[in-house]
Amino acid sequence: MLRRTLAALAATALLAAPAVAQDFNWRAQEGRTVTLLLNNHPWSQAMREMSADFTARTGIRVRMEIFNEEQFRARLTTLMQGRSADVDVFMSLPSREGAVFKRAGWYTDLAPLIADRARTAPDFNYEDFGAGMRQQATLDGLVATLPINQEGPLFYWRRDIFQRCGIPEPRFVEDIPEAAAKLRACDANQGVWAARGLRGAVPYALTGFINNLGGSYATPDGKPGLCQPASVRGIEMYANLLKEYGPPGALNHTFTQVIELLGQGRIAMTHESSNEFANIVRFPGRAQDIGVRVLPPGRETGISRPVVIGWGLAISAHSRQRDAAWLFLQWATSTEVQTRLVQNGVAPPRASVFQGPAFTAWANEMPIRRAWADALVEIGRTGTGVYQSPTDRIPEARDIIGNAVQQVVLGRASARDAACAADAELARLQ
Amino acid sequence: MSATAVAGTVARPARLRRRPTASFRWMVAPALLFAAGMIVLPFGWAIWLSLQETMIGGEARFIGLDNYRRLIADDEFWNGFRLTIVLWLLSLALQLVLGTWLGLLLARLDAARGLIRTVLISPFMLPPVVIGMMAIVILDPGLGVANWLLKEAGLPQLLFLADPDTVILTVALLDTWQWTPFVALIVLGGYLSLPRDVFEAAEIDGARAWQRFRRITLPLLAPTLVTAAVLRSVDLLRFFDVIYITTQGGPGHASTTLNILAYRRGFEFFEFGYAAALMVTLSAIVFGSVLTFARLRRAVAW
Repeated sequence: MLRRTLAALAATALLAAPAVAQDFNWRAQEGRTVTLLLNNHPWSQAMREMSADFTARTGIRVRMEIFNEEQFRARLTTLMQGRSADVDVFMSLPSREGAVFKRAGWYTDLAPLIADRARTAPDFNYEDFGAGMRQQATLDGLVATLPINQEGPLFYWRRDIFQRCGIPEPRFVEDIPEAAAKLRACDANQGVWAARGLRGAVPYALTGFINNLGGSYATPDGKPGLCQPASVRGIEMYANLLKEYGPPGALNHTFTQVIELLGQGRIAMTHESSNEFANIVRFPGRAQDIGVRVLPPGRETGISRPVVIGWGLAISAHSRQRDAAWLFLQWATSTEVQTRLVQNGVAPPRASVFQGPAFTAWANEMPIRRAWADALVEIGRTGTGVYQSPTDRIPEARDIIGNAVQQVVLGRASARDAACAADAELARLQ
Repeated sequence: MSATAVAGTVARPARLRRRPTASFRWMVAPALLFAAGMIVLPFGWAIWLSLQETMIGGEARFIGLDNYRRLIADDEFWNGFRLTIVLWLLSLALQLVLGTWLGLLLARLDAARGLIRTVLISPFMLPPVVIGMMAIVILDPGLGVANWLLKEAGLPQLLFLADPDTVILTVALLDTWQWTPFVALIVLGGYLSLPRDVFEAAEIDGARAWQRFRRITLPLLAPTLVTAAVLRSVDLLRFFDVIYITTQGGPGHASTTLNILAYRRGFEFFEFGYAAALMVTLSAIVFGSVLTFARLRRAVAW
């Protein structure tokens, strides 16, 4: 039914489009080929099927390379460092690598293209993307990417298990360890908690704990701030949840294992990406028995400051198909395409889609979808894209932070010692 | 007859010393150019890169041997060096011992020989990526079948790749599972080419099986084993795929071998100069091990 509703709405959008489309020549680059280098992500998986529609509209062929994130980054680095024209469009996380990629000159500045009336469809409406998203994608005036989604870690819990054990839904972040202890006492055979333990993946899920308990990755004067008491408390809570209540082998886990554990019903709580919502509810029963919300605020601090990031599409500075690539970017981030992408669990960065009738109808069909959508609105409003101490060597900084958490989980250091040792390493990256 | 023999012995060196003709040079040129393009130039470039400070977005700066000085003072390098050597020696020892045993067992096998050899080949025909993915699924302490089997058998469950104390051993066992059949087939080929009369004479003289193995089989197989050791060493010292897929060098830095460290420094942290210095050092270690084995091969030749 949902598919029919969305198809009808998309068709209506298309019927309304001709008046505008007549003014814009989508077939100006007919016969060309654009090559996309994409991270394996719900957006890319959906694009595999949808790109045929782009070819039908523009006559531009699409060649797509999709890799898991590590391989994707390695290939991108190799191609861009070699100034290769083999890739025209690539996915990028400006909050992670924006500063470095910009310095390297890898991004085509999209601002002139957006402003160019001959090259840009009249109904494109760049301002329709959320202000935060546009801000993350703009680096010192250079528009590096067009946003394709927004995401952030959310708190998922099994409502049925909580109900069976008579445990109330956590209202504050401090309630999570207490709920974990009660769950263990209630049913020793039920797994309690899972979260990312793999070094580089940890900070994404850890940050909410640090922020909500009043901590920060930076001191007021801009130095690394993991060693501050409130930050230490955040690290301690995250690491202890993994250590005391996490699955065996958690230190090699990233979202794939965490989602598998939640989907299979082996755990009762996690803090994992909003992106994985569609995958989670595909498991039998999960759409009915899980709850989802933003990580609860700190009890004493009242702070709720989750992570929110957005992948974007960039045009390679070395591309020889810039105009064809720009047509692809416009189409892939259009209202019409984003409306359809919601079915794949891709949270739309366009306000018109997020507040539009199709998305609202889809979200209202099930309470869990409504909760997910509300959580996304909230992280869009209150979230931060910063989840490492101040530096532009971001991947390295996140690795150091993840390593500190691992040391605590392994019992090799106290949270304070690990955090202070990490600060010393992080200071060298500034 | 004697004159002919003398003429023959004189003629051969003369032919060997003959200067290459122009057409010979042209025929060899493509191979030389290919070797230069694919081996010498990239290696030379890597050495040049290792003498620079190169980061994405920054200007490359010649810094002489600073990357190598940094490497000597870097705890992560020494940790990677130790892990590389431990993984190499552990895996090599396991594969040579088990491979020799399996190879000799195969030599005695009469029935279904072709089928068994085909089955044995299958592990090393698998791409390392597949092995890594299988390891993730099978050895995950919570989700994997390995711990389920241990539990069913009433044995204690293990953390495998998730325990810093067992991760290298687990990786070594994975590699041993994959590559022992390869060593076994080399040993089998070597064993079947040995002169039979030596074994028959030893048997007639009353040598027991262990004595025959220790005093005859092993010394005669030594050059074959060294060849197998060289082939496996080159792979083991630059071991990468399975570790990267399963642990990415963790938990902590417990499986960050030199190759993993160099990859992370280069492709994740964009320190190309330092990563190149690490790779040049690793290449020197591989080259050193090959030279050592080449000497050893000469020493055990018969």
